[in-house]
Amino acid sequence: MKIKNIIKYLPTVIFCGFIFAFAIFYFVLPKSNYSAQEKRKLSDFPEFTVEKLADGTFQSGIDDYLSDHMTARNFFVGFSAGYELVTGRNGSKGIYLGSDGYLFPKPTKDSEILSQNAEYINEYAEYSSIPVYMTVIPSTGYINSDKLPFDHEEYKDNELISSFKNKLSENIKFIDVTEDFKEKAKSEQLYYKTDHHWTSKGAFECYKLLGNAMDYEPVDESEFSVETIDGFYGTSYSKSALWTLSPDKIELWSRKNQPNDSVSVEISDGGEVISSDSYFFREQLKNDDKYPVFLDGNHSLVKIKNSNAKGGKLIVVKDSYAHAAVPFLSQNYSEIIMVDLRYYKKDVSALAEDEKADAILLLYSIDNLATDKNLAYLY
Amino acid sequence: MAVYYITPRRFRNLTLFIVDLVFYAWGEPWLVILMLFSILLNYTSGILIGVNREKKGLTKFIFILSVILNLGLLGFFKYAGFIGETLNMVMPFLNIPILEIALPIGISFYTFQTMSYTIDVYKNTVKVQKNIITFGTYVSLFPQLIAGPIVRYEDVAEQLMHRKETLQDFTDGVKLFLIGLSKKVLLANEMGNLWDAVRESGTQSGALGSWVGIIAYTFQIYFDFCGYSEMAMGLGKMFGFDFLKNFDYPYISKSVTEFWRRWHISLGTWFREYVYIPLGGNRKGLSRQIINIAVVWFLTGLWHGASWNFILWGLYFGVLLMIEKLFMLKVLKKAPAIISHIYSIIIIIFGWVLFYFENLNEMGVFLARMFGSDGFMMSGDISVKIISYIPLLIVAAITSTPLISKLYHKIKSKPIIYVIDNAGCVLALLLCTAALVSSDYNPFLYYKF
Repeated sequence: MKIKNIIKYLPTVIFCGFIFAFAIFYFVLPKSNYSAQEKRKLSDFPEFTVEKLADGTFQSGIDDYLSDHMTARNFFVGFSAGYELVTGRNGSKGIYLGSDGYLFPKPTKDSEILSQNAEYINEYAEYSSIPVYMTVIPSTGYINSDKLPFDHEEYKDNELISSFKNKLSENIKFIDVTEDFKEKAKSEQLYYKTDHHWTSKGAFECYKLLGNAMDYEPVDESEFSVETIDGFYGTSYSKSALWTLSPDKIELWSRKNQPNDSVSVEISDGGEVISSDSYFFREQLKNDDKYPVFLDGNHSLVKIKNSNAKGGKLIVVKDSYAHAAVPFLSQNYSEIIMVDLRYYKKDVSALAEDEKADAILLLYSIDNLATDKNLAYLY
Repeated sequence: MAVYYITPRRFRNLTLFIVDLVFYAWGEPWLVILMLFSILLNYTSGILIGVNREKKGLTKFIFILSVILNLGLLGFFKYAGFIGETLNMVMPFLNIPILEIALPIGISFYTFQTMSYTIDVYKNTVKVQKNIITFGTYVSLFPQLIAGPIVRYEDVAEQLMHRKETLQDFTDGVKLFLIGLSKKVLLANEMGNLWDAVRESGTQSGALGSWVGIIAYTFQIYFDFCGYSEMAMGLGKMFGFDFLKNFDYPYISKSVTEFWRRWHISLGTWFREYVYIPLGGNRKGLSRQIINIAVVWFLTGLWHGASWNFILWGLYFGVLLMIEKLFMLKVLKKAPAIISHIYSIIIIIFGWVLFYFENLNEMGVFLARMFGSDGFMMSGDISVKIISYIPLLIVAAITSTPLISKLYHKIKSKPIIYVIDNAGCVLALLLCTAALVSSDYNPFLYYKF
């Protein structure tokens, strides 16, 4: 065949080659059953039975299997994310790309759940014999609003937080960090770029602000030595599929001159108890998502003891934002009991009584507070 | 596809038939039997009519029986629920139990195809097909089974028996398929996203947002349907078939009459050939013509779905076509082109409002919103969404006109065309695969019909 003819029929070659290559790669390449990027288990090859064939579930099972194990799936998802971005649809996967490589989850909306949660907390506080403190952490999109893209949904965290605050009774001492964060964010990085969480720096700022209300003397920044770990790709990164962005650095702040064995962390999810002598779980640093390095991520109940700290027993009812903050609070409370109501389904008032706690702190991000229905388990 | 080309020419229809059945059974394991029954029914009636050609009464009987059975099947599977509901509404004391039947995919399309064969055999305009494999291949031909075009037997009879696959055809088929795929995946699906968002935003969208929304739907339904048709034509070409064009830039029409010559051409042809003309068409005086138009458009509406809004939609166009026939066409001819264009597109857009909302209350709310019942401007998140879709809306608008096609033909003889062709194919493959892989959002819009 002449060159000219080959060029003429090249679309056929491309088309058949593309399909053929897919088929070949599909059978040759090994298949994993877990996607680290999506943080979920991929579907298994469906079991064959005549019934499943007849009602169509076998066929849809194969379809799911094929799409989950698609060759170069990440490449294509990333390609599509890039295409959407350049054709004007920033945020189509629920994540905005801002300036300086910042990623922002879309804003939290006002919800029934938010007012419902205020009611639960009020009811709890009414019968609590110990002081109840609360703080709500604004989202990265609100705090770093100067870095948002031009066309974005409005972040109304300040309105949400202050209207939430107004619904709380006087029994609760509410610490509003929004204004201070907004101010501080001009000079410091309080949130990760590729994750929705706050940085150690952000958590530290909150710790300083809480000191006033909760009546403790925050440890000064200079008292900590900072270890920096590179290569942190957070959940916003996974969702955005913008694979070419650079990773974050994660900082581990340790108290200088902390005597050995003064810290103990006990994690219990129901039965078994895992113990450690550090706030940081370094095996988590092997993963792309390194945030669980703080107190090993979400668990139902975690006891953190620090024999080097002044007295006081604090219960922290929280979401994952607290994991970065509790190591700081632990400098001022000899024992902290951290409870996650998404997993802990027992009565918190009973826990406070049994443990003879001195105070309770509710620490939530606005995103979780507006969506989490588990605060019903407070009492 | 490889199997098809390895198969000797003599058995290619058989291969195609088997592949078609597997393809259909993949999605509808049981209803494939229904399709086989439909094939058998029309094959048999074709043979019987052929054999008994001399006995006029008998052939007429067979023909009518076959048509009744065909429509009966379609009616039962598609309209039983609808008819039951309507009767219950009018006569509540009847209390007919409503049947919940899943609509077999493509039944509207293949029933019309098989009927075109039986009718043409009866009219003696096509030869009887004695080979059931060949006939089965025609009915179940997978490229157009799901969403058309409605290929008349007459148009492919020759190709079914003696078609020649060439590399040139195959290459053209690949190009056409990719164009269709891109229209469906890159434009229709995205426009669908926007339309969904506008509807969900409720009062926030205001008049402006509602207009953008319904325009997005106008694009969605066109690119969805046209995309499928072109994919079918492309696949057909790869297997050596030549299907007729189903869409011809309908949104550039200067009248509703013209729109219906450019929109879903195969359906229009079907109704003209098998309903309008047999009823007497325009040969029996004006009043009879008007009745004929009304019947055709009632049925066109009904064909699209078992719901009153589709009938309303059909009659809406029926009335407009009559008005155009009576005097409007003359007016439009004299008017400046831009006026005719605006007139037509607005009529079409309102048509899609009728088409979309099966619930007449929701339709009323939406129409009121288009006229400012919730203010003019859009606000909040929906305006953010609409702004982000502006680039795609512009692309969709340009793609609805013959502009790109004209440019393409202008440079067709220059060598640069090869670069454009191949780069286009690679890009289309990558973008469509990426879009399909990354989103689970890929509803078939037209499979219900």
